[in-house]
Amino acid sequence: MARLSIEHLRKTYGDLTVVDDVTIDIADGEFLVLLGPSGCGKTTTLRMVAGFIAPSAGAITIGERSVTALPPWKRNCGLVFQSYALFPHMTVAENVAFGLEMRKVSPADRIPRVAEALRLVQLAGFDERYPRQLSGGQQQRVALARALAMEPDVLLLDEPLSNLDAKLRQEVRVEIRDLQRKLGLTTIMVTHDQEEALTMADRLVVMEKGKVRQIGSQRELYEKPADRFVAGFIGRSAFLDGEITAPGRFRTRGGVEIGCAAATGTGAATLALRPERIAVGGEAQGLHNHFQARVEHASYLGAILDIDVSLSGHDRMLLQIPNKAGVAEPKPGETITIGWAEDAGLVYPREA
Amino acid sequence: MSTTAPEPVAGARTGLAGLLVVPATLFVAIGLLGPIAILFRYSLNQFIPGQFMVDGLTIENYVKFFTDGYYLNVLARTVRVAVVCTVACLIMGFPLAYVLARTQSRFKNLLIIAVVLPLFVGNAVRAAGWMTAFGSRGALNASLMGMGLIDQPLEIMFTENAVLIGIIAVNLPFMVLTLQSVIEGIPRNVEEAAFSLGAGPAAMFRRVLWPLALPGILAGTILTFILAMNAYATPVLLGGPRFQMMGPLVYGQFAQQNNWPFGGAISFILMTATIILTVAAHLIVQRRYR
Ligand SMILES: Nc1ncnc2c1ncn2[C@@H]1O[C@H](COP(=O)(O)OP(=O)(O)OP(=O)(O)O)[C@@H](O)[C@H]1O
Ligand SMILES: [Mg+2]
Repeated sequence: MARLSIEHLRKTYGDLTVVDDVTIDIADGEFLVLLGPSGCGKTTTLRMVAGFIAPSAGAITIGERSVTALPPWKRNCGLVFQSYALFPHMTVAENVAFGLEMRKVSPADRIPRVAEALRLVQLAGFDERYPRQLSGGQQQRVALARALAMEPDVLLLDEPLSNLDAKLRQEVRVEIRDLQRKLGLTTIMVTHDQEEALTMADRLVVMEKGKVRQIGSQRELYEKPADRFVAGFIGRSAFLDGEITAPGRFRTRGGVEIGCAAATGTGAATLALRPERIAVGGEAQGLHNHFQARVEHASYLGAILDIDVSLSGHDRMLLQIPNKAGVAEPKPGETITIGWAEDAGLVYPREA
Repeated sequence: MSTTAPEPVAGARTGLAGLLVVPATLFVAIGLLGPIAILFRYSLNQFIPGQFMVDGLTIENYVKFFTDGYYLNVLARTVRVAVVCTVACLIMGFPLAYVLARTQSRFKNLLIIAVVLPLFVGNAVRAAGWMTAFGSRGALNASLMGMGLIDQPLEIMFTENAVLIGIIAVNLPFMVLTLQSVIEGIPRNVEEAAFSLGAGPAAMFRRVLWPLALPGILAGTILTFILAMNAYATPVLLGGPRFQMMGPLVYGQFAQQNNWPFGGAISFILMTATIILTVAAHLIVQRRYR
C-alpha cells in the first residue's frame, strides 16, 4: 500500500496521441476512478501503470519507488481484468496462491493467506473448484482474491464489473468498495459507467481524448464542472449557446437576455444549467429569469420527464422535471413557463 | 445448453452425429484397417526364395528381425532420428509459433504462408536442391573452400546429419502450425495476469504458457514423431544407400527382395514401435502436468 503518482504521462502511436500529459496523484488508500467516453485512453493509462505499455514520456512512482522502467512483474500492482483472466488449468486455491508462489512464500505459509483472501471475497470452500465450474461473479471475485493475496502496493481494476449482470454488479461493487476500505488499498478503477464511478470513488478523474479534463470529488465535478465537456458528461446539463454582453449578462443566439452571475469576461460562450435548478410553471414566475417556452418533445421516463423546449427559434434546451402526482404532463406544442435564479448556471467560453 | 432440453431432440442429434461419422469410418475401415489386417496376415507367412510366399502361421519373420543386429540397428537409428527431429522441431517451433500467434502485424498471413512454403516443394525436389547446396562440390563447400576456411569439403550429404536436417525441415511447419493454433487460443490476458502477479517470463512460461499449450505440444510432437518414424524419401535421397531407416527398409523388402512376409513383419514392428512410444510419451507428460 502506497501512494501513486503519475506525472506528465504520454503515449503516442505514430502521429496519434492516445494519452496526453496525464498527471494524477493518488493518496495512500484512496479509491480513484478513471472515467471517460470510449477510446479516451483510460485502459492505456492503466496499462502503463501496470507496466504492459511503455510510456512515450512521463514518470510513474509507487511509494518511493520509480517504476517507470520496471517490467510488470517487478511493480507489485494487483490487476483485475474485465475478462477475469483466471488460469484455467489451476484450481481456485492455486490461482490465488500464484502470486505468493512467485514471491517464494513457502507452501505451508500460503495456505492461511489463500484461505484469508478467499474468505474476504466470500468464496471460502471453493478452493478445489476450477474456474470453469464458477459463475461469472464468482470468477470475478477469484480474480480479486488473487490480486489481493499478493498484497499489492496498488490495485488496478479495468472495468471489473462490466461482464456482470446489473444485480450482481451492485453486489460486487459494494464488496470491492468495502474490501478496498478495510485493507486501505490504493486503487485505480476504470469504468465508463457513471453511476458506478459516482458510488465507488473517493475522487474521480474525467478524461477525454487522452487528456485529463478534471479531477475532483463527485460534488466538485457536478457542481463546479471545469468545462463544458465535464458539465455534459457528469450528470446532465441544459446548454444554451450565445455570448456574454456585459458582466452578469448573457444573450442567447436567439436573442434571449439572461441574467447570470457566472458570466464574466466577454465573447462567445455557453451557459450550462443543471436540470434541477430549472423551475417550471408557477414556481418559475418569481425567479429572476423566467421565459415562455414551447414544448417540442416530451419523453416519459418514470420518475422524471424529459422535456425538450425552445426559448426562441434558435434556443433549444432539455429539461428534466419530476413526475409529480397531479401535475399535468406537458404536451408538444404547449407553452410553459420556465425560470431559474441568477446564480444558477455556469458559463464556459465557447470552444472553437 | 438448457437443462430442460427434451430428450428426443438430444437423441435425434446424437443419431444424426452418428450418421455423419459413417463415411469417415467406412473410409478408415476399407482404406486403412483392411490393408493392415492383410499385411499382418502376410507377416505370418513363410518366404521361400523362388516360391515367393507360402501360406503358413509362423513368427519366424519377427524372430529374424529381433535376432539380427542389422535390423535392430535400423530400428534404433529410426527411433533416434525421430526423437531428435521431434525435439528439435519443438524447441525451434515453439518460439516461432508463439511469435506467429501473438503478432499484431498486418503481414501475419504472409508469415504463415512463409512457414508452409517449404511444403510446396516436394521431397525429391528439395533433396535435389540440398545435393547441389551441400554436396562435396556444392555451393556451401565451394564457397567455404574458396574463402580458405576449410581444406577438405565438409561431409554433409549422405550422413545422419543430412537426414536430420532434411526431416526437421519437412516437419517443422507441421509443428509450428499445430502450436500456433493452440497458442492463439490462450488469451493474452492470462499471460499478463501472471506477469502482474510477479511471474517473470521464465516462470510465466513454465507455470502458464506450457501447461495451457500442452494439448498442442502433444499433438505437434505426435504428428512430427510419426512423420519422422515413417520418413521415406528424405533418408533415401539424403542418407544415401548405406543409411537405412525403417521406411526404406520396408519398401526394399516388398519391391526389391519380393519378401512380402518379412516386409509385413517390419511394417508391423514399425507401427507398433511408433504407437508404443507415442502413447508412453503421452502418459508421462500427462502424469507430470496434471
Ligand atoms: N496499439 C495501438 N495502436 C494505435 N492506437 C491504439 C492502440 N491501442 C489503443 N489505441 C487507441 O488509443 C485510444 C485509447 O484506447 P484505450 O483502450 O485506452 O481506450 P479506453 O478509454 O480504455 O476506451 P474503452 O472505454 O472503450 O475501453 C483508442 O482510440 C484506441 O484506438
Ligand atoms: Mg478500456
